[in-house]
Amino acid sequence: MSVRTVQIHYNDKVVRQFLLATVIWGVVGMLVGVLIASQLNFWRVNFDLPWLTFGRLRPLHTNAVIFAFVGNMMFAGIYYSTQRLVKARLASDFLSQLHFWGWQLIIVSAAITLPLGFSRSKEYAELIWPINIAVAGIWVVFAVNFFWTLARRQERGLYVAIWFYIATIITVAMLYIVNHLSLPTSLLHSYPIFGGVQDGLVQWWYGHNAVAFFLTTPILGIMYYFVPKAAERPVYSYRLSVIHFWSLVFVYIWAGPHHLLNTALPYWLQILGMTFSLMLWAPSWGGMLNGLLTLRGAWHKLRTEPVLKFFAAAVTFYGMSTFEGPLLSIRSVNALAHYSDWIIGHVHAGALGWNGFMAAGMIYWLLPRLWNRPLFSTALANVHFWIGLVGILLYVAAMWVSGITQGLMLNSTSEGGTVLTYPNFLDTLAAIRPLMALRIVGGGLYLVGFLLLAYNVVRTIRGAEVVDGSAEVLVEDTPTPRVGVVGTFINPPFVFSALGTLFACAWMFGGDFVRLVGLFGTITSVIIAWLHFETKKRGWSDWYDRLLLNAAPFTVLTFIAVAAGGMIQIIPTVIVNRARNVEDRIQVPYTPLELAGRDLYVSEGCYNCHSQMIRTLVPDVLRYGEYSRLGESIYDHPYQWGSRRIGPDLARVGGKYPDSWHYKHMLNPREVSPGSNMPNYPWLFENTTDVAALPAKLAVQRTLGVPYPEQTPADIQAQVDAQAAEIAARLRDADLRVEPDRQIIALIAYLQKLGKSEPVRPVLAAAKP
Amino acid sequence: MSEHPPKSPREPGEDPVRPHVFDGISEYDKRLPNWWLATLYGSIIFSVFYWMVTQQFRRINDGDQVTAAVQEIRAAKLASSGSYDDSSLLEMSRTASVLASGAATYQTTCVSCHGPELQGGIGANLVDATWLHGNKPTEILRVLNEGVLTKGMPAWGPVLGPKKTAEVVAFVLSKQPAS
Repeated sequence: MSVRTVQIHYNDKVVRQFLLATVIWGVVGMLVGVLIASQLNFWRVNFDLPWLTFGRLRPLHTNAVIFAFVGNMMFAGIYYSTQRLVKARLASDFLSQLHFWGWQLIIVSAAITLPLGFSRSKEYAELIWPINIAVAGIWVVFAVNFFWTLARRQERGLYVAIWFYIATIITVAMLYIVNHLSLPTSLLHSYPIFGGVQDGLVQWWYGHNAVAFFLTTPILGIMYYFVPKAAERPVYSYRLSVIHFWSLVFVYIWAGPHHLLNTALPYWLQILGMTFSLMLWAPSWGGMLNGLLTLRGAWHKLRTEPVLKFFAAAVTFYGMSTFEGPLLSIRSVNALAHYSDWIIGHVHAGALGWNGFMAAGMIYWLLPRLWNRPLFSTALANVHFWIGLVGILLYVAAMWVSGITQGLMLNSTSEGGTVLTYPNFLDTLAAIRPLMALRIVGGGLYLVGFLLLAYNVVRTIRGAEVVDGSAEVLVEDTPTPRVGVVGTFINPPFVFSALGTLFACAWMFGGDFVRLVGLFGTITSVIIAWLHFETKKRGWSDWYDRLLLNAAPFTVLTFIAVAAGGMIQIIPTVIVNRARNVEDRIQVPYTPLELAGRDLYVSEGCYNCHSQMIRTLVPDVLRYGEYSRLGESIYDHPYQWGSRRIGPDLARVGGKYPDSWHYKHMLNPREVSPGSNMPNYPWLFENTTDVAALPAKLAVQRTLGVPYPEQTPADIQAQVDAQAAEIAARLRDADLRVEPDRQIIALIAYLQKLGKSEPVRPVLAAAKP
Repeated sequence: MSEHPPKSPREPGEDPVRPHVFDGISEYDKRLPNWWLATLYGSIIFSVFYWMVTQQFRRINDGDQVTAAVQEIRAAKLASSGSYDDSSLLEMSRTASVLASGAATYQTTCVSCHGPELQGGIGANLVDATWLHGNKPTEILRVLNEGVLTKGMPAWGPVLGPKKTAEVVAFVLSKQPAS
């Protein structure tokens, strides 16, 4: 055994780059947030300009905050802490630079394409397919750079922060790729390969776990590094780290369907979504406990040290929103809260409180260490903290009250439960307007706080000399004990977990006998695992210690843990249940003109305010008509079920109003709906429908399984012209004159089609999961 | 491999930390709080039972449940909707309190198509001499209740309920020119 000393110079340049990008994109993302919050209350702030309307800017806000602000912050934190935790410089300076500049280029292209209306309309997955490929490519660059660094590590064991980073990298890759599978129709447009319920399920498997593995696990890793560093205290409990890491990554993936509760989603998936969300409560709080209790013995420093203030508040908000999440996942609570501002409050407690404050704490801690100069003003950082905190509390409280108020009003009935108390949706909008105004104040205060941080950053680094960290480590050249393939899979924790999961699946999906065996097997494996753990504790922990010396087996096991839930939920729905995904009605495919109108609906981001999903709830049915069946959106690529009702549901709006109503409403919503906050869409009356793109679009739809006949472009043109002429004629009868080739005609055609379906033969209807 | 002692001086009697230190970060290995374990196990046990109750012992699905509830509501409405005839609607059109609430409903629900002065717009003119679908009060009530879907008039009966619908009819009747 030989011992030698190695001098390591860390790559802190890329950390500084990501850190500054965090500040810049943070300002941009929050500024857009305040703007769109204002648009909801003051429709004039949409300026009648296509690229400044709410529907197009809301995706820009969410993408900017998630992928630009938190993304850059995450990369800065991961690169800074990983190098130090594994005692190795980042493997490749080239890959690091490629990662940084590639990511910024992606953000810039997103900031250009989203306002221009290029959108896939799946939330936090709106970017068009060429950018999707770039994101996947840069994520691979990140992964290679990270794992290559791990391979060159001088520190043999993997610290808990690294576990979370590994889970982040592999899971985000998996989610992102599956949810972005699509067939291009042109350079800038594509249709997702999943449709209807499948698309919804895949979308929320992705969407929910983007929250989990983009906004939570990497930040937990950052917490595990920066909180003990800043507090100069040991981490509270290693065994809590182990348990909450594995339970978090395993359970999180299953909870996606809680975004689709009370909808047409098959019932068993709704129940899985709800129960796994409830089971997620304790694992999430494990992270909060380890964060907060690490501060024990350092609480007195909170008075003087803004970094710790931010961390303590951030972890508290994490605890708050991970309690709120399971609560909102209870189906009856969700019946009230879904589609309302309560959800907006919930995500902002997480985004502003947890992500934003973790970012601020990390930035204030890193600044002096990366630029070798004390923070310009600690007092200013303290002001930032208090302004930001008041901002969050105002914001979140306003959204709670708003969401509950609107939810109660929408669900309220009178005259013995036979009629809606507020049949006019706009009455419920008027009631929450003051609260939406208060939200602008809260968000504005938070932005002011963040601008103080930006100012502090500028003043601290101006003229400062950058400094790169270095370390001297003693390296022992002893062989690392390997676990190998057999050791990875043949060991008590893995075997018992795998057995338990398999039996549980048999119990969930099996017929009478298999189900019984499954239940019995699940219970037996839990009991045996328990007894084995109690008697052979050493065996379990020795194996885990050895696992931690081996990055590759650790990564494989993490991947298995995160992949299980998605496979069990999605594969039956996509493959086995295809015929069952219909219920008793099937959608009538859109005509070419209606499809063109639908693409406009998608492109304008109408789904940001309008759902197309009447839930199996009496107030929903009283307000919007019969509940939505699965088959009624089966040909929808992408699905448009929506997640928020800033305006009413549109699932059955077809035929409800005359064409002239839609014409006037799109030109100036307030003419027919006094008090509406919807933007005007004057450009739809000037721009012409892109009929030339339809042949390629219809061909892709046909490939995806929508029953369109083979048609020549001339046939399509003729069909479009005929339908457009009919609509234009009906408008002319109402003294409204518009050329039939305008976009408004296509949009009206689409809106009048919504809710049109045919009954299906009982053979299909009888098959229920 | 580097081994540093933990940076912060530990108090006597404090829990031991794990042997290895990462970049100056050491870790306690404290036992898990009981309330936390109770939450973890409790939620798992609840989920297993909830799955069994909802998946294995449930007989009715959400869709059927909601359909049944809505049918009941429809029946209740039908039972109470027969209570208006021509004379009672005319009587209502002379009752100030009825007209006030009828006007309020008109302002939120009907005004966008029929105009603030009932002069029409997207919808028909309600104060001219022609009635497209019958001029008896009960005929007007039927139009409100069932709509004229081909012309874009929605069925308001299911939305507003019988009382409000009748009030709107009374309000419209009260606005008729005195011919």
